[in-house]
Amino acid sequence: MDVALKIWRVDEDGERNLVSYEIEAPEWACLLDVLDIIKDRHDGTLAYRKSCRMMICGSCGMRLDGRAVLACKERMKPIVESGHVPVISPMGNLPIVRDLVVDMGPFWQKVRDVKPWLDPGYDEPSERERIVSQQQMNVINKEALCIMCGCCVSECNAMESDPDFRGPAALAKGMRFVGDARDQTSVERLNELNDEHGIWDCTRCYFCNERCPKGVDPRDAIAKLGAESVKEGIDWDMGAKHANWFVTSAKTTGWLRETELVPKTQGILSALKETKFALALARRGKVPPPGPIHVAADVDESRKLYNLVKEQGRDGALGIVQGERALARIEHVEAEGARRDAPEITPGEEPPVAEG
Amino acid sequence: MRAAIEAHDLGADVALLSKIHPVRSHSGAAEGGINAALGNASEDSPEEHAFDTVKGSDYLGDQDAIQILCDEAPGDVYQLEHWGAVFSRTDDGRIAQRPFGAAGAPRTAYAADITGHVLVHVLYEQVMKRDILTYEEFFAWKLVIDDDRCQGVIAWDLLNGGLKTIGAKTVVLATGGAGRLYTGTTNAYACTGDGMAMALRAGVPLKDMEMMQFHPTTLAPTGVLITEGCRGEGAYLLNSDEERFLKNYAPNAMELASRDVISRAEQVEIDEGRGVDGNVLLDLRHLGAEKILERLHGTRELSMTFAGVDPIYEPIPVRPGAHYHMGGVDTDHELGRTELEGLYAAGECACVSVHGANRLGGNALMETITYGRRAGAAAADWALTHTTVAVPPSVEADAERELKTLLDRSEGERPWQMRDELAKTMHENFGVFRRENQMKEQERIVGYLRERYERVVVDDKGAVFNNDLTQALELGFLLELAACMVVAGIERKESRGAHARPYDFPDRDDGNYMKHTSVRWVGDHPVLDWKPVTMTKWAPQERKY
Amino acid sequence: MKVAYYKGCLASLSAKELDTSTQALAPMLGIELDELESVTCCGAGDIHEAEPDYYLHLNARILAYGEATGADTLMTICNVCTLNLRQANWQLRNDDDLRARVNENLETVGAPPYSGDMEVKHLLWMIAEGDGYDRLKQVAHKGLKGLKVAPFYGCQILRPSKILGFEDPDRPHSLEAIIDACGGEAIDYPAKIKCCGFPIIQAREETALGELLQPIEQATEAGADVMVTPCPLCHLSLDAWQSKLRERTGKDFQMPILHLSQLIGVAAGLTDSELKFKRHVVPVAPALDKLQV
Repeated sequence: MDVALKIWRVDEDGERNLVSYEIEAPEWACLLDVLDIIKDRHDGTLAYRKSCRMMICGSCGMRLDGRAVLACKERMKPIVESGHVPVISPMGNLPIVRDLVVDMGPFWQKVRDVKPWLDPGYDEPSERERIVSQQQMNVINKEALCIMCGCCVSECNAMESDPDFRGPAALAKGMRFVGDARDQTSVERLNELNDEHGIWDCTRCYFCNERCPKGVDPRDAIAKLGAESVKEGIDWDMGAKHANWFVTSAKTTGWLRETELVPKTQGILSALKETKFALALARRGKVPPPGPIHVAADVDESRKLYNLVKEQGRDGALGIVQGERALARIEHVEAEGARRDAPEITPGEEPPVAEG
Repeated sequence: MRAAIEAHDLGADVALLSKIHPVRSHSGAAEGGINAALGNASEDSPEEHAFDTVKGSDYLGDQDAIQILCDEAPGDVYQLEHWGAVFSRTDDGRIAQRPFGAAGAPRTAYAADITGHVLVHVLYEQVMKRDILTYEEFFAWKLVIDDDRCQGVIAWDLLNGGLKTIGAKTVVLATGGAGRLYTGTTNAYACTGDGMAMALRAGVPLKDMEMMQFHPTTLAPTGVLITEGCRGEGAYLLNSDEERFLKNYAPNAMELASRDVISRAEQVEIDEGRGVDGNVLLDLRHLGAEKILERLHGTRELSMTFAGVDPIYEPIPVRPGAHYHMGGVDTDHELGRTELEGLYAAGECACVSVHGANRLGGNALMETITYGRRAGAAAADWALTHTTVAVPPSVEADAERELKTLLDRSEGERPWQMRDELAKTMHENFGVFRRENQMKEQERIVGYLRERYERVVVDDKGAVFNNDLTQALELGFLLELAACMVVAGIERKESRGAHARPYDFPDRDDGNYMKHTSVRWVGDHPVLDWKPVTMTKWAPQERKY
Repeated sequence: MKVAYYKGCLASLSAKELDTSTQALAPMLGIELDELESVTCCGAGDIHEAEPDYYLHLNARILAYGEATGADTLMTICNVCTLNLRQANWQLRNDDDLRARVNENLETVGAPPYSGDMEVKHLLWMIAEGDGYDRLKQVAHKGLKGLKVAPFYGCQILRPSKILGFEDPDRPHSLEAIIDACGGEAIDYPAKIKCCGFPIIQAREETALGELLQPIEQATEAGADVMVTPCPLCHLSLDAWQSKLRERTGKDFQMPILHLSQLIGVAAGLTDSELKFKRHVVPVAPALDKLQV
C-alpha cells in the first residue's frame, strides 16, 4: 500500500523541518516498519530508536499526530485507508537529541529518585522464596507491566507546566514498591513521594492512562499512592488536605462544603491572603455562604456507608485494586471511523522549540 | 546485568556497556518462564532437570555444565525473588511453576507471560541500586587484543559520536543471539550476534554454530513470539483438518514435546498442505477467558495487535521462526572463560554448552542468570588478581582508519538489500530442514554477499545518533556468523536436535558426530574443527517424546 | 425522554447558573429531568484518591437512586461526575463479587440496590448526535450567528476513552457539532483537549496556572469571542481564575466562559434569569453583543 507521512526532522542544533515522505509498504506494516523503509531506502540519516518490534522493550516511543505511541504498535493500514497523512514527531517533555530521538536522561533520573529497588529490611535472605500470596502481588500487577517507554511522560500536562514533577512513570514505579508486600520501607517512600513535585502535583488529566501502550494506568497508580498516604495518616500536603475535605464533606453533609474548602486546604493564613481574590468571586455568588449548609437528603446513609467501608478495611490502594479485574475487561472502545474530519492542528504535533 | 552485579558485589570496578539501554535488552521479550527444580508444583530435583536438559539437547550438551546449571538454578531463582522479581504465585504463596516443553515435571517459574520483562527490570533495579557505571548506547565493535590478552572494547558512542576505547582487565560478553539472520525471527533488531562476531574476529572459536532453534509458535510474517507458556497452560496445535497433529509425531508429550520436534512437525504439516496460509493453529479457546486474561494477557495483546486475532475467540495462526542460537563463543564448563585470556562469555552468545543441539524452554533465562553470575564472578576474580591494562594506541588508530574508510565511501550498496537477501536465503536454505545442495548454495550466497559488503555505503556521516553506521557494522557481523553456521551445518552429516537433514542424513549418528563443531576465523574465512562432548552420567538414547 | 438528573456539587452552589440554564433548557430538548435528592458528591478525583472504597460506594448509591427513578439514563452536567459514575458503573457491572459486596453494604445502610441497568450520559452526548441533535437544531432557532466560539473539552469527558468512549479522545467533535447546530463558528486550537489545571489549582497553583494559560491564550489568539465547556470545574478555572492569569502574564485576557447549557440557552432564547450571566467573573455581555440578530 502507498503510505504518505510527514516527519519533523530536528538536527543537532535544534533546527526543525517538516519533511514529507511517500513510500510503499506491506499491508501489515506498522509505523516502525515504515520508518525502516524510509531509513533504508530513502534517507539513512533518519534517527529513531527501535529494538524488539513487539511492544516490550520500550525503545520506539514517539508522537503520531501529537500523541505518544509505540511505533511498533501502530498499524498503518487504517490510517492509510482513511486518507489521513500522519505527522510524526519526537516525544514531548524531554530534550530532543535528533529527529525522533529524545534524551531519556531526565526520565531515568526521576526513576532513580524514587529508589526503585526492593528494600526488604534485611541483608540476609531466607533460603527459599518469601511467601506472598497472588492476591498480595496483584496489588502491583499493573505497575509491574511498565516498560519505561516514556509515552506517559511525553503527554503529561502537569510536567509541561512543572518540569520538576516526578511524573507518571517514576510515580508508578514508586507505587510498584509501596504496594509490594515484601518492601519494608513503604512509609518512608510515601513521605518522600508526598513532596512538592510528587503525588499531589498530578493534575489528573488522564493523558498517561490514555497513552500508555501497556495498560499500566499511571494515574491510577498515583491515586493508589494517595490512598496509601491517607491510610498512613500522611496528610501534610495541601493536596491531601484538599482530598480529605471532600471525604469529610461527603460523610457529613453529602454535598461538598465548598466555602470551607479553601481554608481547609490552604490553612487560614494562606486563605486570608486570598481575600481579594475571594471577594471578587464572592461578589458573583461563587463563594457560597457558610450557612445554611447545603445538606443532601438521607445523608445519614452516606455517613453509615463511610463507617461500614472503614470497618471492612479495603483501605488504601486495595480500594482501587479491587476494581481492576472489572476494568481490564473493557474492550478498548474505538471511536467510530478512523479519523473524523478535523483541522490539522493537534496538541504536541510540533516538537518543542529548543530552549534559548 | 547479572554478571555486572556479581562483579560489583565482589569489589571489582565494573562498567556495563550496551548498544541499547540495558532495560531494552531482548531478554525482556522472553515470556514463558525460567526453569529451576524448586519443587513447588510437584516433586522435582536438579537431577531430573539435568536429565531432561541432556535429553533435550539431543545428547550434545556437556553434562558437567548442565549439572552445574541445574544444581544452582534454584538458588539463583530465589535470589531473584529476594531482589523483588514479581513472580506469579501458587495458592500457598510460593513461586508458581508451569509445565513446559520436554520437561518431566512442571518447573518453569513464571510471571504471567512476561517473565523476561520482569527479570530484566529486577536486574536493572539492582544495577541502579549499586549505581553501576553504564555506558548506555555504546555500540561495541571490536575487542582490544594485545599481548594475547583481551584488554577492553572499542565502541562507537551513539549519542555523541566517535570511537571510544574502554580498557578493561576482563570483558564479559553477554550480547545474545543472532536471530536477525532469518526473515521470520522472534528476535529484536538488536540481535545481530555482535559478541560472537567480535570474539570470532579475535581468534576465539565458536561452537555448534549450525544449531539455531526454531520456535514453533511465532506470528507471521515477522516472527513475533507467542510463548510456549500457552502450551504449558494447555493450548492445542491444530492443522487445517482441525486435528492435533502432534499425535503422529510426539504422541506422549504432544504439545509439550521439545521445540525442534514440534517445529519439524509443523513444517511437515505445512509442506504437505495441511497448513492454513502457511501456518498451523494454536488454539487457546478452551482455556477460557479468565485464564487467558490472568496468565496470558501479553500473548493476547500480541495476537490482537499483530495477527488481528483475539485468542479467547479464535485460534492464533503460528509457524516456526528462528528463535535461539544454541551455538556461540566456546567457553569452559564452569566459569564462562574463553580460550582468550581476559575474555568471558555468558548467556545466548556463549556455548558452554548447556543446550547442545536443542534448548528447553525456560533454560535460556536460567543460563543467563547462573552463568552470568559465574562469569561475572570469574571475571572479577581474575581482574582483581592481575595487572592492569594499557591499550596500545595502534589498536585504536587501526580501528579509526577502518571506520574512516567505511564512512568516506560515497558510492556502493545500502545495507538493506544485502541484509534482506541474507535473511531470506538463510530462511530458505538453512532453516528447519536442511539439504546438502541448499547448504552449499547458501555457502556460495554468503560468500557473494560478503563481497558485496566490501562496498557497503553509509548514508549518515554525522556524529549524533548514527545508527545507520551501526546497522551497517551489524550486517558485517551477521555475514561472518552466517559463513560459520553454514560451514558447520554442511560438515555435520547427521540429524541432531535443531539440525535436521531428513533427506540425506535423517538419523542421529553418535558414533561419528557426538561432538561439537568448532569454527575459527582464519584469514578471511571459517575453518572447521571438532570438540568432544563431556558425558558424565547419561549415555545417549533414542530421543522420543 | 425521562432521565435521572444528577447535577453534582458545583451546579448546586457556586455554579448555580449551570443548573438554572440546564433546567430551563431540558424541556425544550425533550428531556424530562427527575432530579436526584438522596445523593452525595461523586467524590471527584479526591475521594477516588483518598478513600477509594468509599468513592465506589458513594457512586454506587447515586446510581442506585438513579435506577430507582425508573429511568434508563442518568444525566450528568459535569465531566468529573461523568467519569466517576461511569467508572463505578463499569467496575460493578463486570465484577460479580464486588457488586454483591457493595449491594450488601447499600442494603445495610438503607439505600436502594444497584443493578447496573442504568447508562450514565453527559448532556453533551445526548444532544451531539441523533435525535437529540435534531431536537437541538430546532431549539436553537435564535442562533449564534456571528459568534466565534472556542470549545474547551477538558480532560475527564474524553479520557480514559475506554470508560467514556463517546468520541475520539484526540479529535473530538461533539462541541463543534453543537456550536455548528446553533449557528456559531467553532474555533479550533490545540489546547482544547488539555487540562485546565483545576484539580491542583489550590494545592499547586503555579503548575495549574501554567496549564490554564494554554487554552485561554490560544483561544484568544485564535480570535474566539467566547469559550464553552461541559464541565463546571473547568469553568471555575477558566472563568474565576482568569484574573490570576492576567496578574501572572500581564496580558489582559477577557475571555467569557459559558457552560454548555448557557451557550445553547442563548441560541434558544433563554431569559437572563435562567442564564444568570451575572454570576460569571469575566463579563459575558460584551461578547454577546457580537451576535447578529
